[in-house]
Amino acid sequence: MGRGLWHRGIVSSSNPVQSAVEPLEKLQESSSDAITEQMAKSLKYPDFFKVAELFTVEDLFNARVHLGHREGSLNDHMSQFIFGSRLSHLIFDLDQTATLLREALNFTAHIAFRGGIILFVGRIPQHQVMIENTAKECGEYAHTRYWQGGVLTNSTIQFGSVIRLPDLIIFLHTMNNVIYEHTAIRDAAKMLIPTVGIVDTNCNPNLITYPVPGNDDSAASISLFCNLFKAAILRGKEKRKELLGVH
Amino acid sequence: MASVCIGNLVRNSAKVFRNSYITQVRTPYGLQIRCWNSTTPEPSSKPLTSVPASDTIKHEGSGNQLIKVSKAMKAYQEKAQALDALMFEKTTEYEIGRRHLANMMGEDPETFTDEDIDTAIEYLFPSGLFEPRARPLMKHPTEVFARKKVAEFDETGRPFHVLFYTGLPNYYQVLHDLSEKVRELDSFSDRMMQYNIHKDPERTLNVGGTEWVKKEQLEDILLEKLKDKQYEFFVRSMNRLLDHPFSYRVEEFIMKFRKHVQISVIHKEIPKLMFTAEGTPYMAAVGRRKTSTASVTVYGRGSGKISINGEDLLYFKYIQDREQVLFPLQFSGLLGKVDVVADVDGGGFSGQSGAIRYAISMAVRSFVDEQMMEKMRLAGLLTRDPRRHERKKPGWKGARAKYTWKKR
Repeated sequence: MGRGLWHRGIVSSSNPVQSAVEPLEKLQESSSDAITEQMAKSLKYPDFFKVAELFTVEDLFNARVHLGHREGSLNDHMSQFIFGSRLSHLIFDLDQTATLLREALNFTAHIAFRGGIILFVGRIPQHQVMIENTAKECGEYAHTRYWQGGVLTNSTIQFGSVIRLPDLIIFLHTMNNVIYEHTAIRDAAKMLIPTVGIVDTNCNPNLITYPVPGNDDSAASISLFCNLFKAAILRGKEKRKELLGVH
Repeated sequence: MASVCIGNLVRNSAKVFRNSYITQVRTPYGLQIRCWNSTTPEPSSKPLTSVPASDTIKHEGSGNQLIKVSKAMKAYQEKAQALDALMFEKTTEYEIGRRHLANMMGEDPETFTDEDIDTAIEYLFPSGLFEPRARPLMKHPTEVFARKKVAEFDETGRPFHVLFYTGLPNYYQVLHDLSEKVRELDSFSDRMMQYNIHKDPERTLNVGGTEWVKKEQLEDILLEKLKDKQYEFFVRSMNRLLDHPFSYRVEEFIMKFRKHVQISVIHKEIPKLMFTAEGTPYMAAVGRRKTSTASVTVYGRGSGKISINGEDLLYFKYIQDREQVLFPLQFSGLLGKVDVVADVDGGGFSGQSGAIRYAISMAVRSFVDEQMMEKMRLAGLLTRDPRRHERKKPGWKGARAKYTWKKR
């Protein structure tokens, strides 16, 4: 398949199972129809929220997104995103990154548009506070702390009551503190929760729905990604207020 | 009464959870539900916790407004309603009980406080039980039923707290605030370095007499159960913040997690200085160590003369004993400023010197301020050494030592 097309994680393109919803009273019908109509309309555009405006390849370069790790730690699945290497340091192909990032931002904006819960995950201590602040500023959620096993897969017992799980998980770091992948990647795939993830050269992009190859170690690059996701979410929410009339 | 604004629910009914099963519930317009354990004074406009349904729909009886609520959410709302009703009932009972008690005791019902209730119950139901918690009790329902966390998410299921999914939002919020404050202080100190201003000793944060809250107290503050490691990490992190040269700028935040240590009551009753005929201030004290007793008088406005049983400091042959006698004076800075007259009897040289040291320390308390006294207490000068000679036991070589054990 062409560049940039690999099998993504599970994306439910089919209609999710609908419960036997009783028809609403006439009172609500018109507003509900309008909203469904708006939602359907938003899917007709390739870039409904114009997320492509949010960044350029030059911005990515200036934020040092193209810098990968050394050749020895390259994960085989990431080799398709590598432009080459310079003095044994791997360089990402920012054209691919840009395309994938646009898709990821578009998806994020759509989720925000539909009032989905978005969870920012990242386990590197240097960026914990930044990620939590990003989540706060766009009215979403963050989990940059020790991941308790049952958060997604055993949530009823973990939280003591039935809760609403995140509708999208954004990984600013896909790796844990140590050399292992973050548990949430596998768990999100199990729970059919779409994921967006910044994957570095040593990361495995397999189970991530919208991987974005790029540097996840510099504060500059993480800061840029945080700002981009925040902007996309805020755009989605703005449109939500405007078109659907809900806050 | 509790309240959930049904109007809000109606407006938001258009939210469709595509992946969830939704319950339809008909509720009479104006149905009021509130979480009783909310910490907000007035009923929140947002309803309680919400939950995405994963069950089949349930259709309620006839009502006026149609709203979409998940089954689990409905169950939670009913539970919260029941709890709220219970609390209301118990509180009314308590208030009526208070008035009855006041009448029984012949007091004014309007001004009958909780402490008065405790006294009245103790009087009317005297209990010989040892455990205070087993005795008859009449407390306000909020104290009897443990304070719980507020409802954590709104009617759409979105949690209120940013860090809800961590499982310990309040704890991690504290750590987040801590990190932010450390950054603030670092950037402040960077700016100060430009002007060559370093740590100002005058403005150091004084946490004397306080210590970090214990794990149980922290759990009470945060309303979250913590592990030991999490508490230890919290203390280490707070210590890092405290050790920062500019930590006085975040005093309020730090003091939230520090509690005052209770100083021993004995040392609050320090006797006042007495005066001789000539007007010299003096203080007398008795000290004991092992089997020795020393009675000592410390005279102010002196020149450092020491007299023990009529002899000077050379009464003690060994340097250690002389040091023991001088230590309290040296520590409090009164070495050449007071005269000491001591009478000591009983025991040997070590016990006698220890007795004199303790007696001098107790006498010196009256000459010295509270901060120095606290320092003396921490140095161990004001602690009566309780150790006595332990007897030898038969079959043992000494008090504790045993004879060599032979296997065969």
